[in-house]
Amino acid sequence: MASIITATNSNGLTHVADNSGVLQLASGTGNLVTVPSVTGTAMVSGNMPAFSAYRGSGGQQSITSQVWTKVQLNTENFDTANCFDSTTNYRFTPNVAGYYQMNGSLYFTGTSTVRGIVSLYKNGAELTFGNYMGSFNSTQGVAVVSTLVYMNGSTDYLELYGYVQATSPTFVDNPALSMSGYLARTA
Amino acid sequence: MLYDKIKQLYPSLTDNDFITVIRLQNDSDGKGDYIAKWEHPTLPRPTDEELA
Repeated sequence: MASIITATNSNGLTHVADNSGVLQLASGTGNLVTVPSVTGTAMVSGNMPAFSAYRGSGGQQSITSQVWTKVQLNTENFDTANCFDSTTNYRFTPNVAGYYQMNGSLYFTGTSTVRGIVSLYKNGAELTFGNYMGSFNSTQGVAVVSTLVYMNGSTDYLELYGYVQATSPTFVDNPALSMSGYLARTA
Repeated sequence: MLYDKIKQLYPSLTDNDFITVIRLQNDSDGKGDYIAKWEHPTLPRPTDEELA
């Protein structure tokens, strides 16, 4: 069934063993973590990168109409592994290889807005883009993007870019101008 | 602006061209706008002299 190591409330550390090749760790009255016998790295919440960042200071980011512009996300809600740079390059460079669920949101304004598009860039090139907020004559909108992407855990990085066709467009300093992500599965 | 200069050179370019075959980009690093992609099927990429 499993070899079990238990941190008890009365007898210290105990263990029982079998030949299953499966290891279970238990604490107190039975919280179990099972380590699979297959090869791979067992990840726990403490070492799985997760972050959430948005533009929370510096006012609105002025941009040029019809130019893909990197969003300056300068405020962090959280950054569990210190993988997001919110001061210089505004990018996420995770330190664990694996598959990351990524989300982006572009809150933009402008007059005579034609469209806004948001895109995730990997290593300086477009990875994928989200919905077009297009063909309306309004002053603001929110476009979103989401994807699952492999990151090598060392040099790969992700950035958020936005495209707005409008007069005097800006990215709005608001939690709706954001990028977030987390490790969904190790490599 | 870069977009305006390109439109002056090639008035026939459409808004969709600037999404599909041409990409103007700004990396928010203080270096300004530049042409990140030019894949227009008939019009050649403008030279630096033409954009100056």
